[in-house]
Amino acid sequence: MADTQVLQNVLRDEQRLPRVPEPGVMVIFGASGDLTSRKLVPALYDLAAQRRLPLEFAVVGISRTKMSHDEFRGRLRKALEEQRPGEVSDDVWESFAGGIFYMPGDSKKTETYGELKELLKKLDSERGTQGNRAFYLSSSPSLFPAIVERLGEAGMNKSDDGGWSRLVVEKPFGRDLESAQELNSELQRYFDESQIYRIDHYLGKETVQNILALRFANGIFEPIWNQHYVDHVQITVAEDIGVGTRGAFYEEAGALRDIVQNHVMQVLCLTAMEPPVAFDAESVREEKVKVLKAVRPIPEDEVDNYAVRGQYERGWVWGEEVPGYREEENVDPESVTDTYVALKVFVDNWRWAGVPFYIRAGKRMPKKATEVAIQFHSSPHTPFARDDTEGLEPNVLVVRVQPEEGLSLKIGAKVPGSGFEVSSVNMDLLYGTAFLEEAPDAYQRLLLDLMLGDPTLFIRADEAEGAWKILDPVMDHWSEKREISLYPAGTWGPQEAEALLERDGREWRKP
Amino acid sequence: MIGESRQAPGGGRMSVGQIEHELAKLRTNEDGTLALRSSVLNLIVVTDEESAPEITNSVSKLAGRYPARAVVFIADPEGESNVDVRLSAFCNVRGGGGAQVCAEQVTIHAEGPPATHLESLAGPLLIPDLPVFLWYPGEFSPRSSEFAAMAELADRVIVDSAAGENREDCLCEIAAMLEGPAAPAIGDLQWVGLSPWRSLLADTFGAPERAGELEKIKRAEILYAPGGENRALLLVGWLASTLGWKAESATREGNDRKLEFSGPSGSISVELSPDSPDARLRRIRLYSSGYSFQVSRHRALSDVRTTVMRGDELLAERTVHLGSFDLGVLVGEELRYRGHDEAYEGALRTAVEVLDL
Repeated sequence: MADTQVLQNVLRDEQRLPRVPEPGVMVIFGASGDLTSRKLVPALYDLAAQRRLPLEFAVVGISRTKMSHDEFRGRLRKALEEQRPGEVSDDVWESFAGGIFYMPGDSKKTETYGELKELLKKLDSERGTQGNRAFYLSSSPSLFPAIVERLGEAGMNKSDDGGWSRLVVEKPFGRDLESAQELNSELQRYFDESQIYRIDHYLGKETVQNILALRFANGIFEPIWNQHYVDHVQITVAEDIGVGTRGAFYEEAGALRDIVQNHVMQVLCLTAMEPPVAFDAESVREEKVKVLKAVRPIPEDEVDNYAVRGQYERGWVWGEEVPGYREEENVDPESVTDTYVALKVFVDNWRWAGVPFYIRAGKRMPKKATEVAIQFHSSPHTPFARDDTEGLEPNVLVVRVQPEEGLSLKIGAKVPGSGFEVSSVNMDLLYGTAFLEEAPDAYQRLLLDLMLGDPTLFIRADEAEGAWKILDPVMDHWSEKREISLYPAGTWGPQEAEALLERDGREWRKP
Repeated sequence: MIGESRQAPGGGRMSVGQIEHELAKLRTNEDGTLALRSSVLNLIVVTDEESAPEITNSVSKLAGRYPARAVVFIADPEGESNVDVRLSAFCNVRGGGGAQVCAEQVTIHAEGPPATHLESLAGPLLIPDLPVFLWYPGEFSPRSSEFAAMAELADRVIVDSAAGENREDCLCEIAAMLEGPAAPAIGDLQWVGLSPWRSLLADTFGAPERAGELEKIKRAEILYAPGGENRALLLVGWLASTLGWKAESATREGNDRKLEFSGPSGSISVELSPDSPDARLRRIRLYSSGYSFQVSRHRALSDVRTTVMRGDELLAERTVHLGSFDLGVLVGEELRYRGHDEAYEGALRTAVEVLDL
């Protein structure tokens, strides 16, 4: 249907006009939650105000809270005003809010879906939404299977009238391989994989997408992006903040589940993947899955040689004394939850054979930094006198995702003077600042892609499962242990993490 | 984002080498560190003394999205022979590290004979390997040899067909130039300003059951204010060239212009009326046999309201931002494109056919 419509509406058939999705409704489950008012609705409002949504568009919020349409609209408007005081136009908001509806309902009950179906039908006829629906699961993950099953039973997994029906799932995609597989098979019982959009907002960030641009839009990096030239790779995702008010959630998750399974594994895939033949959903995701498949499994009895977990204790971050993890709100005083993870993995394929990827992610590190550092082999022979090359280190290419997105290359250069002293200097290229405008919000980008039916930047089932498969032995091993290494807040992690690299004769970078 | 404008002291006649040297010095921060130069394109601007401040302001705003080596000419062919060079840089700090990134501007006052050979001054100042955009914010003569010599340097020429007194003549001259064998790629700010209107109008046919109405359009009305006729004409030209309408006749009634087209399913009458009290483009209405489609500025002129009616029944309506028509924004839009814009050229050809009737 999409194709015939584009062909018929010849006015839209032009490269310089923005692509606008077909008419449709977005149904949000768990609509009284924070995500809806802080992220989803502001992103949709911006898209609408910037003329990127179709004329026939509606949002339906569902949750158990009793509210009228107007109360729901009022709540959303208030949240939007708080985010950007004085910037919300009355007329534009009124027009946008006219397409927002609310339905109180228990998402576990069958009646809710009968009601929803009626409402959506009414919107199709009154607002011309053409039977196209995106169901956004922003409720508690424990409700996902029930919602999907009820949607399926009510026949809403397929749209009448030849429209489309899509399902959006927020992370976490399970909490281990088994539960991820279970969730996927629940989802796939009623929805085809091509209808499922697993959202990791990290992939909506321009800076993360720029890793792809850097690698595949430049001919000079690819020839050296392999084991012939690369000694090892370090991926760092460091946060300076603690768990704050998310203690209860974090107790269940930990750094491995919260950051490594999704964000870090995505960065690993983008760094290690082969060039896709096209920038479309299947080509890109196929190459990412190949990386996950090539990661050497960590044997459960050798986990300690490959993985380190840590937890922050009281310390100093940026001039301020901060509490330890066990002192945080809603955290067990004897908790062994990981707030830091370091891993050594190998990608066993032609390109990366023998090259270790050292990965670390943690909270309460000295600063916020996300980077991929490619450390090259030392030059095979240096003709200069040993004393003259003391300051010379191997080349390192650092792809910085944040802050200050850019590249830095460490190269050897002659120190001015009559001798031939050679030293390393850093050359910085801040391509993030080359374009000085702020990038659009990740949700804006992803919601538009969802409405346009482009799943390239969403996670496929086998990607989610592939990442869990790598981490499962580590989680199993840790679940049996009652001790965890501690590190003072404001440091780069526990001593054991240093040892992980020291054993290989290497050391962690300080981002 | 913190912006800082830096000026080089002095000025006067400088060599290319001196200019490059002074620009590098401008990038040196107070603490001796060197700010980076960031450039994605070269932008040559030809303007006059009166417009120079506004143009310079727009150029510095463009640095946000399109950091460039900007070469701004303030040309006066009548004066006594003189070339005076001023240098400035617009530097920004972003992120926590405090690293500076600068975009540069070379401003050249050229008077007398040098003002007729600006290409000799512009050429050596371009950064190699980057695309070159040439922008004439004001009146320009597409047929002059000066224009041709400058256009030769550029990958794309940005003009404003409504900048001069004879706006309709200007459309004809651009169209004639585009017929030539080595015609430059042209971007017209009057056309860029139509983009949101065109997109919103396209939206009204987004529902599959209404897309078919495009073939059944019988009547169109465009309300604009004096100064907006080129936009109105290009809009009609776009509709006609996209929908396969052929211009048949044109008449005038008072200030209004009535046009007749023949389309795939009958005749279409179009009324252009310059009676808008304010906005250059105020309202577009299309009528098919059963439907009417309207895109109109809202009471707050920065917003625009779209409606679709079937008889008296309101089928869809929406209010959104029309977007900015700030000069810098319009030019920025044009900088995104290379090469010929076929939709514009098609619209222009039809607009000129109408003017020739």
